[in-house]
Amino acid sequence: MRQLFKDTMLSLAESDERLVMIFGDISVFLFREYSSRFPDRFYNVGICENTLISIAAGLSSQGFHPVVHTIAPFITERSYEQIKLDMCYNGFGGNIVSCGGSFDYAWDGATHHCYTDLAILRLLPGMEVTQPGSKKEFESLMRSQYDNGRPTYFRIAADEHGEDLPAEFGKGVVVRDAGAEVTVITAGPILKNVLAAVEDLSVNIVYYHTIKPFDADALMPFARTKCLVVHDAFGLHEAVCEIPGISAARHGLPDEFCCFYGTLDDIRAKIGLDSQGIRQAV
Amino acid sequence: MELLLASYKCMKHNPADPTWDARDIFILSKGHGALGLYCTLSHLGYFPMDQVFSFGGFGSSFGCHADRFKVPGIEASTGSLGHGIGLAVGMAMAFKIQGSGRKVFCVIGDGEANEGTVWEALMAATHLELDGLTVLFDHNRSQGRALPIFNPVEKFESFGCDVKRVDGHDIDALCSAIQSERTNVRVVVADTVKGKGCPTLSDEVYAWHRRAPSEEELASLVEELDAAAI
Repeated sequence: MRQLFKDTMLSLAESDERLVMIFGDISVFLFREYSSRFPDRFYNVGICENTLISIAAGLSSQGFHPVVHTIAPFITERSYEQIKLDMCYNGFGGNIVSCGGSFDYAWDGATHHCYTDLAILRLLPGMEVTQPGSKKEFESLMRSQYDNGRPTYFRIAADEHGEDLPAEFGKGVVVRDAGAEVTVITAGPILKNVLAAVEDLSVNIVYYHTIKPFDADALMPFARTKCLVVHDAFGLHEAVCEIPGISAARHGLPDEFCCFYGTLDDIRAKIGLDSQGIRQAV
Repeated sequence: MELLLASYKCMKHNPADPTWDARDIFILSKGHGALGLYCTLSHLGYFPMDQVFSFGGFGSSFGCHADRFKVPGIEASTGSLGHGIGLAVGMAMAFKIQGSGRKVFCVIGDGEANEGTVWEALMAATHLELDGLTVLFDHNRSQGRALPIFNPVEKFESFGCDVKRVDGHDIDALCSAIQSERTNVRVVVADTVKGKGCPTLSDEVYAWHRRAPSEEELASLVEELDAAAI
């Protein structure tokens, strides 16, 4: 997905002189073609995430469409007040593209895990929050939102769900309507494990790539079913439970740090987000 | 007040058209000084002074920290320290990319300089050689009781800034420091005294921090100010 991020930005920069890339010293080599073709719109500002956001807001205030890119916990949790005030409260825009969400940086340990980004950002007035689960979703969401002058969060994932689903910003997707009494609600790449877990079970599945604005209408046909949110981050469950008339159980994250290393799949298995763990929860 | 007046004296701006697209930008990063900025903008003709008398009241457009959507001439809503300077860097960067020649002025405080983001922003600004950015450092030593900024000239120079140090109550000296040739981001270390001209205030700065005088005290303070002016 990161490769597609580079290709998409390169393509957009060719036709939009207001696109400016701001890096926190990651993906810089990946963007070498962009930097050589658009040197005045490529800035590796450094490892100063708070300032990356403030700079982006300042650029946006003067008509540019900045795209800030670095690692998820540092650009969201560390820079929350800059996103809140410099972007949202001031009404300045800017795109934040993170990598390393949830447990994508599994072997780096808990300092690099990030599963609150979606939850905290969705609380900010004016903020748009997305979690693309496929290349198609990332490209569609980025192209439709990057120049709207609003603060928008894109979370690039290390893996994908592998499905070809509709990718319209702000729209939930009914992946399966089995007329079942149980509905699993999920978002992002973890859909892959959900599908594997319930392959032979009679359950409905509703999927989201956009966490805010949240498409409540997509869930309404399933409001009277038993709803279970399966997600490897906070935020989706809260969004679901805010819909009047819907209550949902949650399967996902423990209230403790994940203090072990390994691969993304190792972590997911440890906390019950592999297909077996999800199946048991369903 | 002198920092504000000097900045606007050196800026391209138009009170009759606050969003004029060729204007220079002023950011009050030490946002708690908004009342001074309101008075300056009013003095320059952005809006009548009587509006400012609603300061801090429910329904007023003039709060303790300025709201850019409510007050003509306010370019950024500031208040949380260490934010305005980063916005100013982004704006100066925008003008450099555009080649517009527009300039950005930003006032920061010595207390505000306790925030790490001030130094992050300056590192980025000097690395990007944003010589259209002027940062005025209100060196009123408000942090004498906590975390003082010792040797500010050396500190700013070590971050790559082109520094001038002046009497922060001397508008001509401030303008000269703002307008002189520079090699990078210009920082003006402005030595100031909180409550300048009113010994009641300047002798007890912490007692008067965030305190409004009574009518009686106000009359006395104005008398002190008048005496100092004479």
